[in-house]
Amino acid sequence: MIKFIFKGLIRDKSRSLLPILVIMIGVFLTVGMTGYIRGFIEDFVDQNARLQTGHVNVVTKAWAENESMMPLDLALLGVDTLLTELQTDFPGYRWSPRIRFGGMLDVPDENGESKKQGPVMGMAVDLLSGNTDEIDRLNLKTALASGHIPREPDEVMIGEELAKKLELKPGDKVTFIGSTMDGSLTFQNLVVSGTIRYGVRQMDNVVMLLDLRQARSILDMEDGATEILGYSKQGVYSDEEAGKVRDAFNAKWSGSEDDFVPVMRRLRDEPTLGYYFTYINSFSGMMIFILILIMSIVLWNAGLLGGLRRYNEFGIRLAMGEEKGHVYKMLLYEALFTGIIGSVVGTAFGVAFTLFLQYKGIDISGMIQGGTMIMPNVIRAKFSPDLLSIGFIPGVIAMLIGNMLSGIAIFKRETAKLIKELEI
Amino acid sequence: MKLALKLAYKNLIRAGLKTWLNALALSFAFVLIIFYNGMIDGWNNEARQDAIAWEYGTGHLRNAAYDPMDPFTIQDGHGVLPEQYREHLTPILVWQGTLYPHGRMMPVLIKGIEPGQTTVKIPSGVLKNSTAGYPVLLGRKMAESAGLKEGDQVLLRWRDRNGTFDAVEVTVAGIFETNVPFVDGGQVWIALNTLRKMTGLTDEATFFIADENYTPTPVDGWTFVDQKMLLKPVTNLINAKKYGAAFMYLLLLAIGLLVIFDTQAFSIFRRQKEIGTHIAMGMTRGEVIRMFTVEGAMYSIFAIILGGIYGAPLFIYLAKNGISFPVSGDTMGIIIAPTIYSIYSTALIVKTFLLLVISATLVSLLATRKIAGMNPVEALKGKAL
Amino acid sequence: MNAFILLLISVLWTGLKFPDPNMILDRVDQNMLSTTKILEGRMIVYGKRNTRIITFRSYSEGIHKSFTEYLTPAREAGTKMLKLKDNLWIYSPAADRIIQLSGHMLKQSVMGSDMSYEDMMEDRKMKDVYDATVTGEETVDGRKCWILELNAKVEDVAYEKMKIWVDQLRYVPLREELYAKSGQLLKRVVMSDVKRFGDRWYPTKINYKDVLKNGKGTDFIITRLQLGVKIDEYIFTKAALKK
Repeated sequence: MIKFIFKGLIRDKSRSLLPILVIMIGVFLTVGMTGYIRGFIEDFVDQNARLQTGHVNVVTKAWAENESMMPLDLALLGVDTLLTELQTDFPGYRWSPRIRFGGMLDVPDENGESKKQGPVMGMAVDLLSGNTDEIDRLNLKTALASGHIPREPDEVMIGEELAKKLELKPGDKVTFIGSTMDGSLTFQNLVVSGTIRYGVRQMDNVVMLLDLRQARSILDMEDGATEILGYSKQGVYSDEEAGKVRDAFNAKWSGSEDDFVPVMRRLRDEPTLGYYFTYINSFSGMMIFILILIMSIVLWNAGLLGGLRRYNEFGIRLAMGEEKGHVYKMLLYEALFTGIIGSVVGTAFGVAFTLFLQYKGIDISGMIQGGTMIMPNVIRAKFSPDLLSIGFIPGVIAMLIGNMLSGIAIFKRETAKLIKELEI
Repeated sequence: MKLALKLAYKNLIRAGLKTWLNALALSFAFVLIIFYNGMIDGWNNEARQDAIAWEYGTGHLRNAAYDPMDPFTIQDGHGVLPEQYREHLTPILVWQGTLYPHGRMMPVLIKGIEPGQTTVKIPSGVLKNSTAGYPVLLGRKMAESAGLKEGDQVLLRWRDRNGTFDAVEVTVAGIFETNVPFVDGGQVWIALNTLRKMTGLTDEATFFIADENYTPTPVDGWTFVDQKMLLKPVTNLINAKKYGAAFMYLLLLAIGLLVIFDTQAFSIFRRQKEIGTHIAMGMTRGEVIRMFTVEGAMYSIFAIILGGIYGAPLFIYLAKNGISFPVSGDTMGIIIAPTIYSIYSTALIVKTFLLLVISATLVSLLATRKIAGMNPVEALKGKAL
Repeated sequence: MNAFILLLISVLWTGLKFPDPNMILDRVDQNMLSTTKILEGRMIVYGKRNTRIITFRSYSEGIHKSFTEYLTPAREAGTKMLKLKDNLWIYSPAADRIIQLSGHMLKQSVMGSDMSYEDMMEDRKMKDVYDATVTGEETVDGRKCWILELNAKVEDVAYEKMKIWVDQLRYVPLREELYAKSGQLLKRVVMSDVKRFGDRWYPTKINYKDVLKNGKGTDFIITRLQLGVKIDEYIFTKAALKK
């Protein structure tokens, strides 16, 4: 019987092609759009987490209060002990200490006199310990615009725009001038090993990326870090879970009056980000809902019209003695078929589109200007398994419902009138 | 044409639920476009108004050596504007200083403003009425980050024009609430004459804020930056959000149009006999095409009516009560009011209306292509397609 | 008329009671300023979380030339600083570079202390910059002192007003207070452990404190002082920084 239905569908193009096409487009749009919105949010959150905040982060109380000034003297010390503690207490997270600090890059001429100077934002992460996951986390391999990722302690990567401004290229020597944790002036010769491009102005214009141990030595903060970022091993940020971790950690340290007591914050506690989170989440939820609703209407409509179009055919079939129930059943089988085919193809296209965006992205850098938030300049979609069903199920169901509703007409027809109707 | 309209209307009304479903699909796009653009326009409008009211006035007349983006220019970027040019201008003197709240050091910009000025909304009158020796005004954000409240005394240190240190206990005479981060964070507002005395910069100013009656006249050593130029970064940022969202609602529109195309294509197929009859009765193909096109286009009218029915209360509510945002935009460096009141301009509504009607008409026209090649006899038999 | 006589008498009386302030400043200069000076010492910086000790050796000639080399801790060792009139260069062995400090970098603190590089740059004779008056006597650390009040007579001076407590016999300043124009106290310098070096008296412990900031300030302790010794001219050149 399946074969029969299938043949019918193949031979009557208008019975198959158009409904399938409609469903396909609808499902494609639903899936693609959902992937796009999800990708946008996740990318946004993810990029902030990777570059700045982690899923959770630990800083000193004093640093948290003065964060905007990046006060090195208020940084965490005794990081190794704290790290071990974090690793035992929260095994579901990976922890990575970092140092953020300000300073200046001085470019010498051939006589060692200052040729150019520019402010930099230092970002020290573990690059050289051998078992670091920061290189992947920061997407350094993709972000690398020229040269290579530091292999030696005195090698640094700088933002591409900064490199342009200071006329630096890989292999050039620079001197970092800054203040140690204790406030002494500190100088360090460094070699630019490569340049990075994140497509984020706040990074590309000022960032200097270097190994954590080197930064500790430059800044005279042995066993120190401005923050320890925590990343869920599942790779996905969960607000609730991060909240639990935060509360558990802070409960342990509560009651201490010390200014340098560590405090944990989660991604969403960052006020700006938290707000965006809520906003985008609710907005995209609404969008997806509207999309699915509309698609259902479209598809239902398609089914309805398909049924109406075959009014004559059903008449003939009934006149030839086919049971009404059987005609109806066959109609639904057909609908299921076309629905599935359309949904499969539509989902496939939607997923392909999503995957394309996930890997290639759309550059929207022209649309974003200024702002202190780290906004991805390239929008990427995000594939998740539920995309396979998010368009598929409404696609099939809408088709079925459409045909069910339209098919009801079959039962209303009176056999006696059939011949009369068919005369014309 | 009248006939076509009448027929189209009757046909659609008779189709009942189906018509309304199609119209509903299309109406989402309509409502969303108006909702989103209305919100952005509202935001834009408020941001512009706030920026004008708090910071920009009708424009700034800047000392030529002063660049607001470069703090190193503050040292030298000030001067005396000749008396005859000062009409309709409110002088502001900017100076660097260090605030010592609770034993911490906090670099700040000290801004001198005339207590009697009314050009911008900075509540400078408070400075005149205060009995404290050195009354200052702080924005709420600044007060929070310094841990200061009204009535608190805090030490302010600065260097005068010769580099000599000076320091006094200033009193927080008032804290103002503003959506404009550029007059709040890291700034201390003080009476202009006080700051002039403090720094020894008699009669000097860094820039002037123009009121609406100011007519720009070129002055040597000063540059006038008009309101439009000043507002550009504000509007650019917000408009960028407009384009980002266009993608979303154009998609919705596309889906809505797909429904119409779909419906019309099927409807033409189903109504071959009717088409054949029309032609047989003497209608030209063009007339039939027009009738079907009008029918399709009419969906957009229905969509607008439908969208109006459920959208209007929403729009009116948003325009009256606004949408509240949990966090202010200070940290983002953009101006964002805590409540955004949507604005629906006639232009926006007309544009959206036209967009919908035109696109629906085009799509319907596209769907009628088959009629052109139809053989009326076959059509009458229902076998033309 | 009576009032005038009273005023005259009181002026004469103070004049009689207190010595000429410029004389005191001259005597202080005589005692403190040496043509050449080699000084070894340590700086104790009291931080919020730790206390650091930095040792140094410095050479100076007059008030315009000075050269300082940091000896310990290891990370500061070999850092050298040369001041010639208005210019200040720093040499860092880690970077093997000489960098001239200017602009906002002069506002940085010296080795995390309460003193900024800018504070070190003021090298004019007090007599040239300030009008001095003796306003009274006070006992500091058991030594009788004149209190000198100094008011700037030039405009481009960092501190408009200073108060100095000078030992009446040894002509060593024992305390200095630096004021803002408004009269707000900004910095306080306390000198103690005065010792004899040849025919001069010298404080061997100086505490320098920014009173607006929380904390204990910074201690400078002189462990060795040679006065009037010959210093090679080469020391006060940029080339010496790299050596």
